[in-house]
Amino acid sequence: MMYHQMPIPSRSEHLWRYTPWSRIHPSTTDAVPDADEVVFSAVGGKTVIPRTPSMQPQGDIARAFLQAAGGSSSELSLHNESEPIHINARASGHVAVGHLHLDVKGSAVVFLHISGEPEWVGVHVTGTLHPNAHLAFGFINELDSNTKFLRCENWDIARDASLEHATLSVGGFRCKSDIRTSLNGTGSSVRQSITINADGSRHDDEHVEIHHHHGHTQSDLVMNSACGGNSHFIGTGLLTIAEGANKSDASQVFRNLLLSKKARAEAIPELEVLADDVSAAHGAASAPIDTEQLHYLMSRGLSPDEAESVIVNGFLYDAFSNITNKHLLEEMRTRLTVHLECELKR
Amino acid sequence: MTDDAQELIGDYKYGFHDPENSTIRFDKGLTEQVVRDISELKNEPEWMTDIRVKSYRHFVERVMPEWGNCSLLNMIDFENVTYFLRSSDKTEKSWDDVPDDIKNTFDRLGIPDAEQKWLGGVTAQYESEAVYHSIREDLEEQGVIFLDMDSGLKQYPEIVKKYFGTVIPHSDNKFSALNTAVWSGGSFLYIPKGVHVEMPVQAYFRINAKNMGQFERTLIIADEGSSVHYVEGCTAPSYSTDSLHSAVVELIAMDGAKIRYSTVQNWSSNVYNLVTKRAVAHRNATVEWVDGNIGSKLTMKYPSVLLKGEGAHAEVISVAYAGKGQHQDTGAKVHHLASNTTSNILSKSISKDGGRSSYRGLLQVTPKSTGCRSKVVCDALILDSDSRSDTYPTMEIGNSTSDLEHEASVSKVSSDQLFYLMSRGFSEEEAMGLIVNGFFEPFTRELPMEYAVELNKLLELEMEGSIG
Repeated sequence: MMYHQMPIPSRSEHLWRYTPWSRIHPSTTDAVPDADEVVFSAVGGKTVIPRTPSMQPQGDIARAFLQAAGGSSSELSLHNESEPIHINARASGHVAVGHLHLDVKGSAVVFLHISGEPEWVGVHVTGTLHPNAHLAFGFINELDSNTKFLRCENWDIARDASLEHATLSVGGFRCKSDIRTSLNGTGSSVRQSITINADGSRHDDEHVEIHHHHGHTQSDLVMNSACGGNSHFIGTGLLTIAEGANKSDASQVFRNLLLSKKARAEAIPELEVLADDVSAAHGAASAPIDTEQLHYLMSRGLSPDEAESVIVNGFLYDAFSNITNKHLLEEMRTRLTVHLECELKR
Repeated sequence: MTDDAQELIGDYKYGFHDPENSTIRFDKGLTEQVVRDISELKNEPEWMTDIRVKSYRHFVERVMPEWGNCSLLNMIDFENVTYFLRSSDKTEKSWDDVPDDIKNTFDRLGIPDAEQKWLGGVTAQYESEAVYHSIREDLEEQGVIFLDMDSGLKQYPEIVKKYFGTVIPHSDNKFSALNTAVWSGGSFLYIPKGVHVEMPVQAYFRINAKNMGQFERTLIIADEGSSVHYVEGCTAPSYSTDSLHSAVVELIAMDGAKIRYSTVQNWSSNVYNLVTKRAVAHRNATVEWVDGNIGSKLTMKYPSVLLKGEGAHAEVISVAYAGKGQHQDTGAKVHHLASNTTSNILSKSISKDGGRSSYRGLLQVTPKSTGCRSKVVCDALILDSDSRSDTYPTMEIGNSTSDLEHEASVSKVSSDQLFYLMSRGFSEEEAMGLIVNGFFEPFTRELPMEYAVELNKLLELEMEGSIG
């Protein structure tokens, strides 16, 4: 269905419960603005090439809106890349939209850094992992703190292919992210880590869907958020295991660390299981900083701010601990450290 | 009986039905006049008629829920339901005075026997109204009021007016509006300050007629420092057409009071069980919902607790069994509205023969409620490849001083456990039965003995033929 034909989603849908479409749309929900292009450029040898925009009808309103708004459309083909590839996505102007498709054969490490100061930016990343492909993908959101950000991702993972996906979300003032992964072949797997650090009045809504369509598939999701100030974090997950997808193994963990009295966090990790021989589990926890840990660090000479920062660092680092690709792990942790040090100095 | 109907009944031992000997039976369908007629027939005060009419109008305007099992919900034909059916002219206090056919039904269900042995009071509701009601004399002397809701309204209108609809307003959802419009029967229980009711009080709900709607309304008020355990059981005959059960249960636990509300719902598999249950717990009060869902076609029931006073505690233990053609959409909702409140939710479900069980929960901590603690655990077993299990938990945390945990797992029966038991001489079926009973054990140990035994029997019956 095209955007104008779609009804505005109701808040009874968990996906739109805390961040209704009207709050993430750049203007009024019936309008489709003329979008500027998000410019994708690869650093170090690889070239991002223009791609004909997809005209396939979309199943959900955010993707249909990004399609209708146009913007840039690019593609990157990857075959056994020896070095990590960094793609810079630069956005500016009033409304900017970009579509990026990754076609992966063999193994590759890709980082997508999004930065800039537009009022509104929307990015739709799609990825196809062919049989036996391995992709380590890092998404780093360092947008200006006044930017509204909509991010959609769709990943199709074929037989025996694997995706390691890490997100560091520290930019933008209102962010809505919707990442959907389909495990379409036997032996496929996805390992996903999301780290969110929110402060001030930042609003970050992260939705993750993982669909096990075949048996002998694996998924693992860890989402850690640390919320201070008046910030509001929402984590929603939908994990489905289709009928007959036996021997699937799925787990989801949502952890929220609340750093101030007015910070808020919501977690809805949903599970729909239609096969019997599976292992599926999810957990969610939310708590303030442990005062004993604070006391211990302060007794070693750290100021209260430094002690809190050490604990938050450790907590946010931990989200990436299930990543096995060393380039991905190193880069995500470095970016996180830089961000936290800047925060501490402020 | 047609083959289809027999197949539907299966091993459901309460599937028998008696000939209908109603004294008053309304035509099928719901209009404002039906609502007014129910109120007039019961000789109710004007304020209650007004509430009913207002609720009916809200029911008509309110759309069906857009979540849950919408396809099953939309199959409900509200025009094909009988909204009021009176089986007996009055509520009897002596079992001997209950009309024979109804008495036989409850005799077969074992109610009078249970009352003599271990209950503080009993209400038996048949179709729309209570047919039998009794309470132990010593409790009556202490000021405990245990009546069917209609008598409660007649005898204590001021208490009913003060609390009716305060926990669940008619506008809460479409089915609470329907219940408020056409409610009939249910229990009214008031425990005075400091009185501890040692033996459980029980209500038993039975639908006998075809296409019947049962809309009981229960209001339990435990005054300061009192405690009570209320037990409820439900059955219905198996027809090939559907019945509707849409109850509203309101509990109010004053400062330091404790209410435990236990349900074992074993409706036949043609009953829509759409129930709204909610409690308010004031300072240092405790509310416990112990909720067993074995029967029905579709159950949508999320017992909730509003923790309004500091130090209040909520406990919800629920089990669900979803067999062939069943969808058990159950869960729990706890709202931490005051500081230092605590809650514990344990949910267990089993899906078999294509059944679907869903846990749908909400845990909310408001920004001003500091120092709250909560733990939610959901475990699900799927016994075959046709079945399905879902969890839809929601956690809304409004401040940084609260500690909340949620964990859920879905699995099949462990082959190691089966192997171990079979190596000790059990057949595969017996071993499976033991594992399933053990899985539900945290629930059954909270039930009164008679109910726990009954539940184990029911589960054994449901589990028959689950191997091979």
